[in-house]
Amino acid sequence: MWPLIDFHKKNVLTGLMFLVFLSSLLYIDWGPELIHAGGGTSLWQMVKGMFTPDLSGDILLLALVASWQTLVYAVAGMTLAIIFAFGFGTLASGVLAQGSLGRSGLKTFFRGVLGFMRAIHELVWAWLFVAAFGLTPFAAVFAIAIPYGGILGRIFADMLSDVPPQPIRALQAAGASRLQLLIYGYLPLAAADMTSYTMYRFECAIRSSAIMSFVGLGGLGYQIDLSLHDLKYSEVWTFLYFLIGLVIVVDLWSQVIRKRLVA
Amino acid sequence: MAKVMVKLDGIRKQYGETTALSSLSFQVDQGEKIAVIGPSGAGKTTLLNILARIVEPDEGRLEIDDQPAHRYTGRQFAHKVGVIRQQFDLVGSLPVIHNVLAGRLKDWGFFKSCLSFLWPQERHLAVEALARVGLKDKVYEKTAHLSGGEQQRVALSRLLVQRPELILADEPVSALDPARAHDILAMLVKLVEEEQQTLIATLHTVEYAKTYFDRIIALRDGRLYFDLPASEVTDEQLSQLYHLSELNQYVAAH
Amino acid sequence: MSLRLSLLIALVLIMASWAHIFFVDQASLSELFSEENRQHGLQFIRQLIGLEDEHPAFLEGQSWKKALTLTFETLVMSIMAIGFATTAMLVTVVPAARNVAQGSLTLVRRWYNWLIFCFFRLCYIFSRAVPELIWAMMIIFIFNPGLLPGAIALALHNFGILGKLCAEVIEDLDLRPIRNLASSGASKAQIFIYGVIPEVLPKFITYILYRWEVIIRTTIVVGFVGAGGLGMEFKLSMSWFHYTEIALYLLCYVLLVFFVDLLSEGIRRAVKS
Ligand SMILES: Nc1ncnc2c1ncn2[C@@H]1O[C@H](COP(=O)(O)OP(=O)(O)OP(=O)(O)O)[C@@H](O)[C@H]1O
Ligand SMILES: [Mg+2]
Repeated sequence: MWPLIDFHKKNVLTGLMFLVFLSSLLYIDWGPELIHAGGGTSLWQMVKGMFTPDLSGDILLLALVASWQTLVYAVAGMTLAIIFAFGFGTLASGVLAQGSLGRSGLKTFFRGVLGFMRAIHELVWAWLFVAAFGLTPFAAVFAIAIPYGGILGRIFADMLSDVPPQPIRALQAAGASRLQLLIYGYLPLAAADMTSYTMYRFECAIRSSAIMSFVGLGGLGYQIDLSLHDLKYSEVWTFLYFLIGLVIVVDLWSQVIRKRLVA
Repeated sequence: MAKVMVKLDGIRKQYGETTALSSLSFQVDQGEKIAVIGPSGAGKTTLLNILARIVEPDEGRLEIDDQPAHRYTGRQFAHKVGVIRQQFDLVGSLPVIHNVLAGRLKDWGFFKSCLSFLWPQERHLAVEALARVGLKDKVYEKTAHLSGGEQQRVALSRLLVQRPELILADEPVSALDPARAHDILAMLVKLVEEEQQTLIATLHTVEYAKTYFDRIIALRDGRLYFDLPASEVTDEQLSQLYHLSELNQYVAAH
Repeated sequence: MSLRLSLLIALVLIMASWAHIFFVDQASLSELFSEENRQHGLQFIRQLIGLEDEHPAFLEGQSWKKALTLTFETLVMSIMAIGFATTAMLVTVVPAARNVAQGSLTLVRRWYNWLIFCFFRLCYIFSRAVPELIWAMMIIFIFNPGLLPGAIALALHNFGILGKLCAEVIEDLDLRPIRNLASSGASKAQIFIYGVIPEVLPKFITYILYRWEVIIRTTIVVGFVGAGGLGMEFKLSMSWFHYTEIALYLLCYVLLVFFVDLLSEGIRRAVKS
């Protein structure tokens, strides 16, 4: 048994995690008051709405406008996020630093910054911005840009430090400076991975943008919220289908790009 | 007179346009050690896969130990035939002992297999087998951490535990360097002799075939090119076997 | 579609989006960075850190006790969420793998396998395209406020993501060891125990833990619509303008996020070795 400890470590851990999950269920009072008085009817109507979405002209137009608005905040947020990610990511990867001490100091500091940026959810950021500066589209844009900049920056940093060392050494031998190394060595080598990860994040940004309605900004989430409060579930599903469609389109686009990059 | 272990009669296999094997017939006696050689695409792997029942032939009869091969259940068949390929046949994330004991799964029920996953059953079998291939100190190592030659020896000890009557080896040493390849082949042949098993192996290196095997079957374009005792195969036959086919490829390509 | 076309589309999208923000929404940067807004912002920060409050919440034992209880509840919610998502994923993931549907993994080919495959894949796309918060908004019409609806909403979204990732793990399985197990006489169940589980489990666990880290960040958000935990109280404090309470909850939230990140990193490392 002893020599198998290493092998069974993950099995034991899996078992433990399962037990933790089971005990978390005890925390809930499993009883009839868990569900609303009208919960069953709501569920039934929701399911019905799924198959009978409202396809009337003005709702479709509304959904189209809302989809565009959702897309706008997502794209604008991502633009800033990419800029942040480039700046902080290269700094956090340590490829610009001279000497091992400077490098690890720089790395730790900027990785900390990136960690803080992504620790807080985009909607919390949005809320804080609205509370501080009032309702402006920039609240949504910055709210997306900060945590996404954090995630992208962290991944960019990882990708840059994982670049194969041989081409870099060749450039170094040719006398390239640190900045030249970055532009002619690291970035081209990591570009494909960075692009496909950015596209994946863009898909997530669409979802994040859709929920920005919670701080009072328009978009698909806002329309869903309104229709839910009027209990018009078929309208809800129309907007949901637009959101799903938007996500699928972006997903397909990013798959196409990924295939091109690999080829 | 030894009993007939394998009997092929008019085996044919077609993949769309390409004929992988056509009207192949031969017989293998118990205890024989046969090398199957031939240029790339000659149908060696296809032949072995048909013998192992991984591929169904389009035509022809296959008998293993005097019974049509399809009559056996999966478990019975595992008692008759064991397979070893390149080193990628082991489950890398399991400890070595589990990969060796996999040779016993055919005789174990579901419950015993589950128990063995937690606590290896019939441990002595695995340890003995590993000792015979010189891996006594790697019993609990993670298989993926072993070198290619060591992994191939683990595969051998699985066969020792499985104890089939016929061993099919498809390019068992092609992923190894020459020194390691000699090790493994010598070991394989020695174990087969000790267990009085029958061995059919495909090889890319003619030298190995002549050194370790007593009969050589040459395939070309899915047909039997020659079938001779290893000592009678001449260099000229060999160069024709490989050369002609390359010439054909050249003609076909231009 | 070539890369150049993609780049062109991306540039047009970016320009159109910013144009929309500046000209249609009439948002102005100068207004954003005006003196008035700066005052507002500073005021907000002063309120958050308790300079305007005689009894800041983070100096009172009572508030801490409440906040820590809520933090624990949030943790419980995240565990339930990842547990539900994992359970649903495990039930559906095998038929949702392409190599199972094709029969190249199981060596049985049945026409309805494709049907099941398409159905589960469609479920995955649906579930992951809708964000947690919107699931929560809908769920809250069925359940009373509490931890369970939050956990279900989080699980609904992560079910699709986990399903897609884990189905790909199964699709990437190396078939050679599995075929070899089959040819040494192992039954389906034995192959599953010895050939499939040990190969996929570590990868599944990595993905599950990674999604757990995302879930813990999102618990606060589903709380906003009344799904319990820190988020619900956070929103209440927002509407009562209890700024120091907001700060306290934010602090707990960030600490919880860092704690979960550390824990998950530790488990991942233990599983990997
Ligand atoms: N699954 C398959 N589908 C289509 N064609 C196949 C398939 N398997 C084998 N073939 C074809 O059958 C012929 C014989 O293949 P086989 O793998 O038996 O050759 P081989 O002698 O083992 O070659 P090598 O020495 O390169 O391993 C080849 O022309 C090959 O292209
Ligand atoms: Mg072959």
